[in-house]
Parts: sequence; structure tokens; C-alpha cells
Amino acid sequence: MTTPSKDFYFFSELLNRRIYTPEGECLGRIVDLAVDWVDPYPLVIGLLVRRGSADAKAFLHWSCLNRIAPQLTFSPAAAVGRMTSPGPDTVYLREQVLDKQIVDTFGAKVVRVNDIQFLRLHSQLRLVHFDVGLRGLMRRIGWEPGLAAALRWMFAYEWPDTFIGWKYVHLLSGSGPLQLSVSQKKLAQLHPAELADILEDLSGHDREAIFHALDAETAAETLEEIDDPKLQQALIETVSIDKASDIIEEMSDSDAVDLLADLPQATAQEILEEMEEDRAEDLRELLVHPDETAGGMMTTALLSLSPEETVEATLKRWKEEEPELDVLYYIYVVDPEGVLLGVVSMRELLVASAQQRLREIQTSRLITAKLDAREDEVVELLTKYGFRALPVVDDQERLKGAVRLRSVLEILAPSAG
Amino acid sequence: MKTLLKSIADPQRSLWKNISLFFLLMGPGIITSNVDNDAGGITTYSLAGAQYGLKLIWSLIPIMVSLIVVQEMCSRMGVVTGKGLQDLIREKFGAKITFYLMIGMFLTNMGNVISEFAGVAAGMEVFGVSKYIAVPISAVLVWAMVVKGNYKSVEKVFLVACVFYVSYIITGVIVKPDWGEVLDHFIHPNLSLTPAETTMVIGLVGTTIAPWMQFYLQASIVEKGIRIENYKYARWDVIMGSIVVHVVAFFIILACAETLYKNGVQIETAKDAALSLAPLAGSYCTYLFAFGLVNASLFSASILPLSTTYLICEGLGWETGIDKKFVEAPEFYGFYSLMIFLGAGIILLPGMPLIDIMYLSQVINGIVLPVVLVFILLLVNDRKLMQKHVNGTAFNVVAWLTTLVMIALSLVLLVQSL
Repeated sequence: MTTPSKDFYFFSELLNRRIYTPEGECLGRIVDLAVDWVDPYPLVIGLLVRRGSADAKAFLHWSCLNRIAPQLTFSPAAAVGRMTSPGPDTVYLREQVLDKQIVDTFGAKVVRVNDIQFLRLHSQLRLVHFDVGLRGLMRRIGWEPGLAAALRWMFAYEWPDTFIGWKYVHLLSGSGPLQLSVSQKKLAQLHPAELADILEDLSGHDREAIFHALDAETAAETLEEIDDPKLQQALIETVSIDKASDIIEEMSDSDAVDLLADLPQATAQEILEEMEEDRAEDLRELLVHPDETAGGMMTTALLSLSPEETVEATLKRWKEEEPELDVLYYIYVVDPEGVLLGVVSMRELLVASAQQRLREIQTSRLITAKLDAREDEVVELLTKYGFRALPVVDDQERLKGAVRLRSVLEILAPSAG
Repeated sequence: MKTLLKSIADPQRSLWKNISLFFLLMGPGIITSNVDNDAGGITTYSLAGAQYGLKLIWSLIPIMVSLIVVQEMCSRMGVVTGKGLQDLIREKFGAKITFYLMIGMFLTNMGNVISEFAGVAAGMEVFGVSKYIAVPISAVLVWAMVVKGNYKSVEKVFLVACVFYVSYIITGVIVKPDWGEVLDHFIHPNLSLTPAETTMVIGLVGTTIAPWMQFYLQASIVEKGIRIENYKYARWDVIMGSIVVHVVAFFIILACAETLYKNGVQIETAKDAALSLAPLAGSYCTYLFAFGLVNASLFSASILPLSTTYLICEGLGWETGIDKKFVEAPEFYGFYSLMIFLGAGIILLPGMPLIDIMYLSQVINGIVLPVVLVFILLLVNDRKLMQKHVNGTAFNVVAWLTTLVMIALSLVLLVQSL
């Protein structure tokens, strides 16, 4: 290969270019590039060439390339013997990437690929950047040189490129096993709230593909962050009952109940049957309460203990149960019948001495909501007293659960998303 | 709730199940169709009735069939792919074609927006409100509603307002047409190929089947998240919508034919039509007609700019969404504001050749439409994309025939306007 004139190439420059034999005979036009989707940068392994107007495309291996400039030249003799069929991790750039939507995992948003930039290293081309900006779009249309020159001449303005590094891109159409594992790693770096935004931006199959790639815990957290109940429902209905129950098990009580209540009854039943007995029982109980009441908003994953418990024992219990708890900041003190006697906050617990009993440090002036209290009453109490969670009791003052401040945030600040 | 779910799940009550599912899934088709009966539509129908009486009324039947065929393909694509038409065009045909198509869509829809504000101005003038008051107020209302308010609930308000299209049906009945004669015109279609009459037929087709509708319908279907199992209900929604459009169109033509045509009144705009109805059919007919015009124009003026902005930004890969801030989606808000304020502003400029502008936008419409139809057909027959939901042979024949006729008509219009 003779020395080409530059280091960076755009896909738009290569697409539709003619390629020649060393004798100067035209072999056809480039219609696609195949890359191996591997670290550190995907490697161009070959190109699809179409001859004339025929539909048949030939695969030319990259190693048969003689030189890039002044014209793309191949040795067809070498090419004939090297028609290797692409593996499962081969990505066709025109077919699968160009003009398609991708997830920018750095900026956590969905963008469309306008162009692709390659770096020439030795005799190989490696994919380095995805161009998602206006300049890339104009390059595709053929206006870029003129517009860039005009901007420079008129305003002395250097038109910036909007690139996303390969590392930060998740392909929506990738299906090979290696691609999926690379993708999962990239998606795992995102906060569930960002994943939720991305899912909301996508549509149909792309959305499902991403959701399916998440593990149960991440999927659960992501579902909790999605505000639109219809979207939650649509997503959970695309996975198997098995996986759905795993995911819902990972969700907090109030979110799980909201979601189950929105599903068709038969589906909800099936999902509950797949779950752990205890959890399913809790959820069934919560499902009885209407959505917009304290009973429908509360969680049952809280710590309630007897007034005779010592501070030391309480802290130990708290540490053991912490992974299962939704309400972390308060310990509720109840009598053997479950009647709420007092509340101890984490702060009070931490400053008390180890052998003190809960009844000595508890706050017994209780602010509670009844099971059927309306949404706005719950919100008012939570905000008025600045609690992180509000205990919910039945008519006999027995503790049934607690509504977390977190679950009313959407009501308080709907625009915050 | 439990009993409701039970009754829906009960196979023996499948009729109720079907009806309730239909109501759950209806909307996109009916809304799209009603936006279609906009200021331009009402004007064209009025002119057709006033100038040719009932002579051209038969053409509503083939136009309706074509509309159903085209819209059915778009809604099917929306359900199967879960993507908007602009996304599919961009992904299959590339950036260059999409870019030029988007320029075309912008120009034709800009023309439509101008004619919507002209419709608001004309309708309000019948009620004695100056356009210098009506147009700026409605422009600010429409803009603020999307940027500051909740667009979805506004859409529902307009859907309810669609009931007011009944005003045209009432007008059509009040004028006491000779129903036997009406039927006769349907059974014996009649077209003398004079240039003026062909232009009118093309106008009827052009105002009923517009490029933006296909994008808007598919986007609404995708947004509704209809699944393939329930597609048949969405299909009914589309068919119902197309029928409703044509029923309204029928009564507008009928009202104008029975009054204006029979008395030899010449009109040039929908406002003329409304005003001329007064001496012939009573002043309440005038007000009904004008009210329908204002409602239709406002409805379309609030949906067209937004849907155009969405499709351009998505096709070209810019950030979209009314939940975004201005700095996050500058192109989105820029285009949206430009369309509304330019559309309203042009109406207020004295001495603007409004008729020419609307005519020009019709011509661009005619050029863009065949391109969009061909794209739709290529996409809907792409097996990779649609799997087993590609068109059947019979359907393809009808669809291609529709497309070819549309292309031929557009070419005729283009040649005539040169």
C-alpha cells in the first residue's frame, strides 16, 4: 500500500466511490463497509461492492486493498480467494448504523448517525467517531465544503464537528453475542433515570431491545423512573412472565403495586404466582387499596420493632434487613397487636447509647395517615412536617405501611420528570 | 374495576370486548381526518359545490377509497415497525433524499399553516371581528398552548370540537336538498374534461390526501403504542376517520350546491360562501358555516406546525420534544415558532397575494405527495421491515393504481400551473 494522503476518512467519502483494479478497470461501487465490532476500535474488514445496477453484491476483503489515493485500487486476484463470510460480530455500517438511531451513553440520549469517521493506522482503517452533528449531515448532502468555507470567510468561524467516541455508543441494531455484552457494559454505566429518558425517547423494537438487555435489578430501577404508566405496562408486557416477576420483585412496593394494578388482571395474577410467597402476599394486600389513597401509595418494606428492643439490637437488625427495606430513616415502634406506639429516626438511634430501649428515645406524638387518606392529604402531611416517610395506620391504629417522600415527588414536582 | 376487567376478559362478551377495545384505541385516524377538513378543504368543497353543483359529488367515493388505502398502509407501518414515517424514510433512503424531502414538507406545510390563519381571519370576519385582532390572538394562543401548556389535553378539546362539524351537516339538511337527485349524481358519475373542471377534481383530491397526514397519522399510531394483535381496531379507526371526512365534505358541497349554485351566486372563498348563504338559507346558516371554518382552522393551525416540526427534526436527527428547554432543542422551538409567527404574520401584511401563496403551496403539495406515496409503497413492501405484514397482491394493485392516478393528477396540475 502506498502512502495515502491523510489519516482520517469519513464514511460519506468512501460510500459510492468507484474501486479499480491495478490495471484501471472499474470493479464497481462501494455500497457498504463491514467492521469487526471489537475493542479498542472496530476494524474495517471488508467492503460490499455492487457492479453496475445488478443487485448482486460482492464482498471484498480489506487486505486486498492496494491503495486508497488517488483511487481505491484492489487486486481482484487476491480478492477472489478471500471471500470470507462475515462472523456474528460483523456490523454492516450502511445497513445497521448510518442514518440509524444510536444511544450516546456519555450524554445519555438517543441520536441519529449522520456520518462515521475512521482513522488510518498502518494499513488498516479503524472506526473512531460517530458524527451526529449538522456538519456531518451537510457533508452527506454535499453542502459541507461550501458552507464551511462561507462560514470561515464571512465570520472567521471554524464549524465544529459533533462527534461521539466509539466507546460511548450503544448500537440499537446489534445482535451478535459479543456486541450484546459490549453494549450491556456501556448501558450499565448509565443511571436508571437516564435509561428511563432514553427508553422514553425510543420507540417500538429499539425500546424493547434495550429493556431486554438490562438485568432484573437495573430494569426494576429503570421502570421506577419511568413516569408514564402506559409505557411501564408496555415494557413489562414484552418480557416473559418469569422475567417480569423477577423485575417486579426488585421494585419498591408502591411502584410494584401501581404497575401490577395497571396490568390486565390475569397477567398480574400470573406474575404474582411466579414470585416469592411472602412478597406476593404483601403485594396482594396492597393491591386492594385504591391507587390515590395512602394505602395504595405506601410500602410495607419497613422495620417495626417492640418498645423493649435495645438500640444496639435495633441497629443490628437494621443492618441485616437493609437490602430489603424501602424506609431506611425511621424505625417504627409497635405493640404485639401491631398498634403504632412511636417512631425513632436514624439520627436519634445513632446518638443514643447502646443499651437504651426504644421506648425511652421514641417520639410518641405521632403524625399518621389512615389507609384511605387521599393523596393530597398525604402530600400535605409529608411536606408540612418534612418527614421522609409517613406511617399509615388502619382504624385500630395498627401500622400498615409508610408512604415515602420519594413516591410523592412526582405529584409535588411533575415538571421535574 | 375488577368486574370491568372480568367482563372484558370474558370470551362470551366478545362484542363488548371489541367495542371497548375500539374506543380505547380510536383517535389517531379520526383526529387526522378531522385536521384534514381544514380551511383549505372547506374552501375547496364550497367552491366545488358553488361552481359545479352536484356534478362532481361522485368523486368523493374514489377519493375516499384512496384515502383509506393510503392511510391503512401508514398505520400498519406504524404498528409493525414502531417508527415514524420520517424515521423509516431516513433509514432506508439516506440523508440526502430525506433532507430535500424535508425542505419540500416544510414549504408545503408552511403554505397550509398560512391558509389556516387565513381561515381564522375569514371566519372571524363573518362574526365582525377584524383579522388584526383575531389572527394575532389565535397565533399566540396556539403557540403558548404547546410551549407553555399541555398539548395532549388540547388535542382532546379539539377532538370534542370535531362534534361541531355537525354544523355543516345541519346546514346541508336545512337547505332541503332533493335527495333523489343527489343519489342520481352518485349513480351516474359525470365529468366533462374541461381544464377548469379537471383542476377542481385535482383540488378535491389534493386537499383530501395530503403528505403531512401520512406522517402525522403514523406518528400518532406509534405514540399510541398499538400492538399488532389489536391492529384491526386501529384499522377501523382509520376507515371511520376517512368516512367522517367525506360525510362532512359531502354536506358542504351539498349546502353550497343547493343554494349558491342553484341561484347562480359566484364565490371565491369560504367566507363568501358563508356570507352568501344568509339571504338564501337564513343567517344562522352563515354563522354555522363560519363557526365550522374557525374551529377547523384553529384545530389544524395547532396541529400542523407541531407535527411538521416533529417530523423535520426527527428526520434530520435534531433533539425534539415539548418537554425540553429551548437551549436543549433550539431547532425544534425555532422551527415551531417560525411556522406559527410567519404563518400568522403573512396574513396580516397588507397587499399579500394570499390566493397566489395558497396556490403555490398546492403545487408544492402536488410535487411532494407522489414522492411520499412511492416511499410509502416501497417501505410497506420491504419484507425486512414489515415481515409478513407486507401488502398483499390485490392490495398492492389498488395502492399502486391509487399512487399512479395521484401522480398523473399532480403532473396535470403542475403542467397547468406553469
